[in-house]
Amino acid sequence: MEKVKELRPILLVEDSANDVELTLAALAQCNIANEVVVVRDGAQALDYVYRQGEYASRSPGDPAVILLDLKLPKIDGLEVLARLKADPHQQQIPVVMLTSSREERDVVRSYRLGVNSFVVKPVEFAEFFEAIQNLGMFWAILNQPPPMLGERASKRPGTDTP
Amino acid sequence: MQQHATPASAAVDLDKCAQEPIRIPGAIQPFGALLLLVPAELRILAASANVADVVGLPLGAGDVLAASHDDGWSRIHEAIKAWSEGTDPSLSLVADVRDRRLQVTGSRGAQGLLVEFEPIDRDRSTTLDALYPQLRTFLDDLDPAGNSDVILQRTAAELRRLTGFDRVLVYRFDSDGHGTVVAEDGNGVLPVYLNHRFPASDIPRQARELYCLNRIRLIPDAGYAPVPLQPAFLGPDARPIDLTHAVWRSVSPIHLEYMRNMGTQSSMSVSLVVDGELWGLLSCHSARAHHVDPQVRAASEFLGRIVAHQIGANERIAEHAHRIELKKVEVELVELLSHADTLQEGFKGRAPAWMSLLDAQGVALVWQDEILTIGTTPTGAQIGRIVDWLGDQDVEQTYATDHLVGQWPDAEAFADVASGLAAASISRLHKSFLLWFRPQVVRTVSWRGNPHKAVDPVSGRLHPRKSFDLWQEQVRNRAIPWRRSELEALRDFRNVVVNLILKRAEERAELTAQLERSNVELESFSYSVSHDLRAPFRHIAGFAELLKRREGDLDETSTHYIDNIVQAAVTAGRLVDDLLRFSHLGRAALAPQLLDMDKIVAEVRQAIELNRPGVRWMIEPLPAAHGDAKYIRQVWYNLLENAVKYSSGRRTPEVRVRGAEGDACTIYTVEDNGVGFDMAYVGKLFGVFQRLHHHDDFEGTGIGLALCKRIVEKHGGWIKGEGAVDLGARFSFALPAQ
Repeated sequence: MEKVKELRPILLVEDSANDVELTLAALAQCNIANEVVVVRDGAQALDYVYRQGEYASRSPGDPAVILLDLKLPKIDGLEVLARLKADPHQQQIPVVMLTSSREERDVVRSYRLGVNSFVVKPVEFAEFFEAIQNLGMFWAILNQPPPMLGERASKRPGTDTP
Repeated sequence: MQQHATPASAAVDLDKCAQEPIRIPGAIQPFGALLLLVPAELRILAASANVADVVGLPLGAGDVLAASHDDGWSRIHEAIKAWSEGTDPSLSLVADVRDRRLQVTGSRGAQGLLVEFEPIDRDRSTTLDALYPQLRTFLDDLDPAGNSDVILQRTAAELRRLTGFDRVLVYRFDSDGHGTVVAEDGNGVLPVYLNHRFPASDIPRQARELYCLNRIRLIPDAGYAPVPLQPAFLGPDARPIDLTHAVWRSVSPIHLEYMRNMGTQSSMSVSLVVDGELWGLLSCHSARAHHVDPQVRAASEFLGRIVAHQIGANERIAEHAHRIELKKVEVELVELLSHADTLQEGFKGRAPAWMSLLDAQGVALVWQDEILTIGTTPTGAQIGRIVDWLGDQDVEQTYATDHLVGQWPDAEAFADVASGLAAASISRLHKSFLLWFRPQVVRTVSWRGNPHKAVDPVSGRLHPRKSFDLWQEQVRNRAIPWRRSELEALRDFRNVVVNLILKRAEERAELTAQLERSNVELESFSYSVSHDLRAPFRHIAGFAELLKRREGDLDETSTHYIDNIVQAAVTAGRLVDDLLRFSHLGRAALAPQLLDMDKIVAEVRQAIELNRPGVRWMIEPLPAAHGDAKYIRQVWYNLLENAVKYSSGRRTPEVRVRGAEGDACTIYTVEDNGVGFDMAYVGKLFGVFQRLHHHDDFEGTGIGLALCKRIVEKHGGWIKGEGAVDLGARFSFALPAQ
């Protein structure tokens, strides 16, 4: 149970209810135990990360990974990415661009902004499933996340060494 | 102080002549007497020394004109007084004072009223009334639309008959100031000068100005003794008296010597002033002294004015008629240009019009570094130098000369074809010109006296002409001069061309802006499509798949329906992807490099084989070519996939790939043994959404070949397909050699 507690949540930023549902279905099928927090636009995503607005009272801790859609209401994905990666306190959070777009310029801009991975959602469901599952497995389970700022401040032995 | 007035001071050097104060000689000819009066007051400021002789009254400076017991004089006094108080510019009357008859003339000047008295021979004198019928007949006979040469010839004859001189010349000045005798009438006493030229130095500039102001000048006897004015200078600052408008102003001693050298004792000149410019002179001479009455002089001046008017009208009519002719040509050319895509293209059409616009033998268009020519022109290299030279001259709009060598000695190299040059600068930005050339016209000019020796080479002095012998000169490096109407046409045409160029540039800019706008729109459209249109298909496929997994015990039909839903959504998604790829290509910039085709084809084959094994591949070694790796790979993929797809029904599907290097391009061929196609539909092969087979038989979006064609053409190459139903298909594409 202690291990479960340490699992950080996955932040899914997606405005399309269909995509949210499909993504959650895919993640559920690969037995990822991490909590998935769903927000519906860029502003909410930033609120979550910075623990402000409706997320002002959430418990501290960075998400294991942010699955970020590119086209979002209010503040779009690229801007969310740009703000996070420009902030020395947040830039270590892995961000995966998850998008419908095959637009080359989006890919180029995302990587320039420091995205950790860029995934085009395939139309074929099997592939989509596979992609989501791989992402979930890699970022939520396999990847050793960077220490959280709070943790670094009061470092507990044994937490971030394998 | 009277040195100007005496013929003894004839040795005047060139500088002095240029400055020679011919308006203020300080003396008059002895054929009249002169008074300078204070207006209204009629006090005499100065008087010629011969007033008492001519008028018979002892008048001098300081005296005030007053009536006397003589009726005639009282009448003169009254007339002068009345004129003085009025505003008429001039005064003219005839009155008898005692035994003599006097012509009185007056003119106003800044210094006062100039009043002159001239004795008239009662017995010989005539009146304007008597002259009028004669003049009227002459004028009636003038044909307003007539030939100028005829008019001038008749004028010379009329003037000689009127005045009785031995010879009357009609003298015309050219742009260099040289005069040519264009008409002549004489009694044989004096030599014939018709068509001879007289150098410009014969009539200095300030003399020409005076000819414009004072239209008639008589010298009855070149041997006259000038009569000094008393005093010769006025006021504390000793100003000389301005005799510009005086009838009997004493003439330059140089001119008197010139007359004597010419063998003429008397002369009269009547100015022909056209549009304010001294067009020419009616120049009368006699071998002996010859006096002309004031009335005849007045009639002669009138004749000169009428003829000048006629000449002006004729020239204007001729120029207008010519201008209208040129306008027709101009309109033809403008129409030609307005329909041509480029100036160069317009220039290539209708060579005769281009030449006849300025009556030239050759025309050149210099547009940036390109030189196009029509007719007889200098060589391209020479035209290049002409343009450079024009650039050095700061020619902003137009330039024309009939004597290019005179401006630029280097031009002698091509003087035979381009002594005359008319140029229109059509772009300041990059030295672009339209040039018209006229060839050299060698002609022989008969000068009276050597025009190049007016100045004594030893003393540097201008010496009055002693020799009027024929001196012939071959004039070289000259073309037929450009007419005024042609120069106007040149300016007009330049404006039109410049406007056309500007308009075209504006249109191009507008078109570019429109294209950019629609490109931006298209881009944002396809961007939205790529995001928003794919998502629903993904959702349909995703939920259908989820449904199938969830309901494990679905019957066969339901499973089949769900599979169809998934398949349709996936196909629609691919369609969007293909369309996007196709539209992206339009704005994609290629990154060409040398491509290893063997490697690319091997990789593509590998990818295709994963899904469709069992094909017999026959791939020959392929030559390399230049292209964008990403896009050329796409071409190979589409062609090879098609080949495999359409031959999939064969027992042994075969795909053969070959390549051959040509001079201009490298050609690659993909052949299969599949179902082929009907050549009747070959035109539809490469269209977007064009399919020659049913979906049920072969899946596909109908974009693949269109995409191939677009890619290959973007590379500057071509693609074609050949085939026959059931006999396989062969696709070839070519990439240009670098």
